[in-house]
Amino acid sequence: MPNFSSLNTAFSGMNSQKRVLDVIAHNISNATTEGYHRQRADLKSLGGTAATGVFSGRSQSYGVDVVGVTRAYDVLLAGRAVREDAARSAANMTSTSMSTVEGVFPEPSDLGLAHQLDVFWGSWTDLANDPGSLAARTQLLENADTLATNLRRSSNDLQAVADSAVSRMTTLAAEVNDLADQIANLNRTISTTFGENNDLLDQRDVLVGRMANLTGAVARPSDANGIDLYINNRSIVSGTIVQRVDGTTGPLTWLSDGSSVNPTSGEAQALTAVITDVVPRYKTKLDDIASTLVTQVNALHTTGYDQSSTTGRNFFDPANLTAATISLSVDVAGQPANIAAGAPVLPGPVAPGVLDGEMARQIAALADAATGADTKYQSMITTLAVETRSAQGRASIQEQVADTAIRDADSVGSVSLDEEMANLTAAQRAFEANARIITAIDEMLGFLIERTGVVGR
Amino acid sequence: MRVTSSMMLRSTLRDLSQGLSRLQETQTKLASGKQITRPSADPGGTSSAMGMRQDLRRADQRLRSLNDAQGWLETADATLTSSLDSLGRAKEIAVRAGNTGALADPVARQALAAEIRSIRSEMLALANTNYGNRSIFNGTASGAAYDTNGVYLGNSSSIVRDVAPSTSIAVNLTGPQVFGTAGGPVGDVFETLDRMATAIANGDSAAMATEHTNLDGFRNTVGAATVEIGTRAARLAEAKIRAEDSKLLLTTQLSEVEDVDVVEALITAKAQENSYQASLQVAAKILPPSLLDYLR
Repeated sequence: MPNFSSLNTAFSGMNSQKRVLDVIAHNISNATTEGYHRQRADLKSLGGTAATGVFSGRSQSYGVDVVGVTRAYDVLLAGRAVREDAARSAANMTSTSMSTVEGVFPEPSDLGLAHQLDVFWGSWTDLANDPGSLAARTQLLENADTLATNLRRSSNDLQAVADSAVSRMTTLAAEVNDLADQIANLNRTISTTFGENNDLLDQRDVLVGRMANLTGAVARPSDANGIDLYINNRSIVSGTIVQRVDGTTGPLTWLSDGSSVNPTSGEAQALTAVITDVVPRYKTKLDDIASTLVTQVNALHTTGYDQSSTTGRNFFDPANLTAATISLSVDVAGQPANIAAGAPVLPGPVAPGVLDGEMARQIAALADAATGADTKYQSMITTLAVETRSAQGRASIQEQVADTAIRDADSVGSVSLDEEMANLTAAQRAFEANARIITAIDEMLGFLIERTGVVGR
Repeated sequence: MRVTSSMMLRSTLRDLSQGLSRLQETQTKLASGKQITRPSADPGGTSSAMGMRQDLRRADQRLRSLNDAQGWLETADATLTSSLDSLGRAKEIAVRAGNTGALADPVARQALAAEIRSIRSEMLALANTNYGNRSIFNGTASGAAYDTNGVYLGNSSSIVRDVAPSTSIAVNLTGPQVFGTAGGPVGDVFETLDRMATAIANGDSAAMATEHTNLDGFRNTVGAATVEIGTRAARLAEAKIRAEDSKLLLTTQLSEVEDVDVVEALITAKAQENSYQASLQVAAKILPPSLLDYLR
């Protein structure tokens, strides 16, 4: 026993184990904290300086010290988790939006436009069978009006999908700006904090993850532990400088110069696609259906003769060629006798008999036209079904991918209570052992003090 | 791989929610009775279901047209048969009036002439037969086909019904097609009957013979019209059987595509429910324990 430096060694051990316990307590208390990464106290043995003293002989100082607390964080895995989660967010949003668009068209059923088109054409056949019947004429007008109303409703419902995407984008932009501010603030705090700032880093990572989910923003480390964020290669947070975005008009734009942000992933990308692509595309298809209907029916109807042998009347209003505006013409609305059921008699052409239903029959035959409204509607529904299904498929695949990525990142960073318990036990035992050392040295000292020099006493 | 309780919690929750959503999907199918609850559930099925629904409604519509056409043709057939009877009776009277005994008896001739005139008005009434509230022999014109003087008021348009895809049948014959065209040396059946009545009343045997021949001609015309209508009715009946067949077939096919196989769906639902229950139980067993429970 050179000297009693072991007291110090044991003390450093107790002290360090206490720190270890602190860290374990911190881990356990944060076991369910979002974005928390488990931390470890880094212990380092104090390899002794060798010094020779007169009384102590060759002496060496021993002991242990906590040189730092590190968090279990794998940049690669965490980055992948953020990226895949952002893609999941985009795929989910796309899938949800497609389902909403799909919900506008309740097919196959007796409620959808396909059924109403059939009923409409059927009314023309009924009129052809009985051109003199006021009931058949009134029925036709009613069914035509129902069809037009439903086309208008479908168009409005589609627009509502885009509108709600725009309002979501507005709140999203506010959220993005807020997140950018918070990240910039954390950048400042982290760069000016000395010592441990693991928890601040965790907090910032959570915000970056949220930001990526919204906009697909990519984080790149900068100096002084800072992080720069880029959306589509344009900086939104650079150190403590923040660029603001605006979403009040739909697709995100940079507030500074008004150019579009064009997010490459995240919710914003999906919403942008809904606003600028999905809804306009299906509205165009619906408009095409409406305009086909109006044009084809009118082309025949204007050559037909009504019950007072007048020709040249439009059935649908020829000025309203979109699904949102389609309506009956003023010629026939509310005036069933003005429906031109009769076809001109050739040569001439001269007006047919009052009870001629030939034109109604020809109009009813439009139902089977290869380029008619029915065919176009069916092809639109098929396209929509396939697109929705593949969006759902992509979403569920991305769900798996993101889950795997998050699990991989979690396997490094998340708190395992079993592990903490084991470490806790180890630290507790180590503390006790250190205390035992002190007791041992105490006994030795006691022995020296009380029992030495008492020979023969 | 390092596994922690939060990871297990996450994956357990995901599995549970997936199990529940599968169960809900089956539940929706069972509740609605439909295999395809929305287009994306089965894009191919949706496409064929929509096509079948369209065809089905077309078949329905066609059957309605067919029924209407059938009624029309049946009415025409009955009318023409009665007309043939009437003309047969007129021929009998003409033969009787041509007998030497009758020729010599002015009272009998007047009686026979009156009978011919009543047959004429009978024929006129038959020519004005309606189906629904529409005269069947006046083309596409409205109102009666013949006025009381036997003047044709209709036109020569035919009325066409679609009976099968791109197949149509004319359901009407116009007055002149059945009863002859007015004017000229022969005229129509009404003029002939008129002239015959006059000839009988006058005892003009030469004129009676001429009109007798004319009457035979009209009996042939009406007979031919009856055959024509009968042929059309036969085609129509055939088309109707085909339409009904295809309707039945389409209904069956549509049900196969659209409707849920209840037994299968019930078994699936039960299996999914079992697996959901099992995962709930496993989750309840696995999640709570940790080393904490065993350290005292």
